[in-house]
Amino acid sequence: MSYKDKIKTDLFPTIWCPGCGIGLIMTQLAMVMDELGLDKSNTVMVTGIGCTGRMGAYMQFDSVYTLHGRTIPVAEAIATVRPELNVIVVSGDGDLTSIGGNHLLHAIRRNPRITVLCNNNEIYGLTGGQTGPTTPVGTKTVSSPAGSVYSPVNLQGLVNTNANAFYAKTTVYHQGQLRKAIKEAIEWPGFSFVDITSQCIENNGRRIGFPSANEMLNYFKKEYRQAPPGSTQLAYHQLGIVKGTPATAEPVPAGAGSGKGSGEA
Amino acid sequence: MAKRLLQGNEAVLLGAVKAGATYFAGYPISPSSEILMAASVYAASHPEFRFLQEEDEIASANAIIGASLAGAKSFTATSGPGFSLMQEAIGYAHKLRVPTVFVDVQRVGPATGMPTMPGQGDILQTRYGSSGDYTSIVFYPSSVAECYEYTIHAFNCAEESESPVILLSDAFLGHLNEVVDLDTIQVPVVPRTLEPLASGHTRLFSGVATYPDGEPATADGDEFIRQYEESKALRLQVAERYAFYEYGWNKDSDTLVIAFGITRRIAQPLAPYFALFRPIRIWPVLQDQLREIAARYKRLVVIEGSDGQYASVVERVLYRDVYRVPLLGGRMSLEAVREGLDRIGLLPRELAETAVS
Ligand SMILES: Cc1ncc(C[n+]2csc(CCOP(=O)(O)OP(=O)(O)O)c2C)c(N)n1
Ligand code: SF4
Ligand SMILES: [Mg+2]
Repeated sequence: MSYKDKIKTDLFPTIWCPGCGIGLIMTQLAMVMDELGLDKSNTVMVTGIGCTGRMGAYMQFDSVYTLHGRTIPVAEAIATVRPELNVIVVSGDGDLTSIGGNHLLHAIRRNPRITVLCNNNEIYGLTGGQTGPTTPVGTKTVSSPAGSVYSPVNLQGLVNTNANAFYAKTTVYHQGQLRKAIKEAIEWPGFSFVDITSQCIENNGRRIGFPSANEMLNYFKKEYRQAPPGSTQLAYHQLGIVKGTPATAEPVPAGAGSGKGSGEA
Repeated sequence: MAKRLLQGNEAVLLGAVKAGATYFAGYPISPSSEILMAASVYAASHPEFRFLQEEDEIASANAIIGASLAGAKSFTATSGPGFSLMQEAIGYAHKLRVPTVFVDVQRVGPATGMPTMPGQGDILQTRYGSSGDYTSIVFYPSSVAECYEYTIHAFNCAEESESPVILLSDAFLGHLNEVVDLDTIQVPVVPRTLEPLASGHTRLFSGVATYPDGEPATADGDEFIRQYEESKALRLQVAERYAFYEYGWNKDSDTLVIAFGITRRIAQPLAPYFALFRPIRIWPVLQDQLREIAARYKRLVVIEGSDGQYASVVERVLYRDVYRVPLLGGRMSLEAVREGLDRIGLLPRELAETAVS
């Protein structure tokens, strides 16, 4: 088996713009799925509305393409009815933290065993690049011509309000770290959230001065630093994984029955 | 089991359980909350039945869709303000062809309205509340025993029509206590139709127009119409088997009263004077039955807890004017029915006299 078996490559080229960061997340997710033995009989994908949400259509799993903002209630219900499944949410920052923010808040509190991969491109990509709750202060967008005014939502702080939850910060440039974060998130026995900084070159990057996706990736390389091992709090632009206390003593193996559910990336 | 005193809302929960429901998600709102509370109590002693009190009605509506996809017969219960919040998800369930059940125990709206006086103002919302075109199936019982019976039918019909079916109730009916013997109500249960998630397929359950292989079909009108017509045909065909109504009272009268839900019960003293048509399947509207029965009567009077929502539907179906008795502001009483009939000059003299005495 290869990770490519997790992807409907016959549907390529994807709908995403050349240089978009979403494909980098899909590749790493597929690799982790292959490694952990996730397949269409033990895993379900749930995606939201936005460019990111299209990922479900490209993967070899049953996939629920929800309404805008509603991945988490759908995913949590699936995990409740079928606790043996791996339920993987992939969605955009706007979908998860703005229109879906209330669900996120409460899922963190309830700690269901779902994995949330947030493609954080700091923008509403699909609708043309409007500002959102993750847009840095001062960023000029098509709906904040003088620069975004309000402080971005503190995702780490939000997730860590539950002492049992898992929060990882990574970027699409840091592929090894991204893979490790996705893997550990899937293996986590409760709610896990991977906050993945990535580039929307088309509806954000070029407008704020990056000529191409390469420059954005280089910017991530330059700007982001690994947090010291064991950090319980990630500083601004620090990468790392902050794990709470697992809610259950025995982690639920991700690919149940596959025997591949452990080891470092 | 023998006879027992049972509340309308509790009967809904028992009907759902009888129909095989194993998942409930909801958010408290009067006059529907007894369903949520009864579900939580039931779940506490039946681990196979999953219960979640959600953060809001949007989450509830989307959760029951997810639960159904995962393999559970699922339902939620709410009232007007919450039902409005669920509308986007109802359209989504229609698009996905997911069987599930929404219970709407009506109160007086719009907005927070009159908590929690009874109303029947969600008749059109159950049909047209979400965006776009879809084919709703809606039932409205009018007794506690029927709350049980039609909840089972709603679940069965949801399975067969692959759609979200709505069960209407109202504040009076939901809180009505009646002596019932549920054993006398035997409705065969339709088993699950949808193959659950993670059965080895790569299906895409998409609210976005897509081809069966998952490719976006957002600019293909032919494909859209093909899928729409297919869903519509299935729902209309299934709904035929659920064409429930009551026709009775004084059939020799020259006036036909049309009333449903609790209003039919309130209007019971009119029985000697008028004929009655009570639609139980509110949507799709019982067009053939209405046409055939209404043709026998000189006058039609729709008595309902809204300002003519169902009356306008009857007029559209029959191409003829109907008299209206709207029971507004929570004034769903025999007194209000009398006043309404008096206003249009149709109050039977005997009833006017009893009102005076
Ligand atoms: C209820 C509703 N409101 C608004 C929209 C329009 N809409 C679609 S995607 C989107 C934002 C997407 O941003 P994000 O979640 O960050 O995803 P991205 O495209 O950046 O991956 C919006 C506002 C919608 N589809 N539904
Ligand atoms: S608009 Fe942005 S987020 Fe969407 S596909 Fe293009 S680059 Fe990616
Ligand atoms: Mg975004």
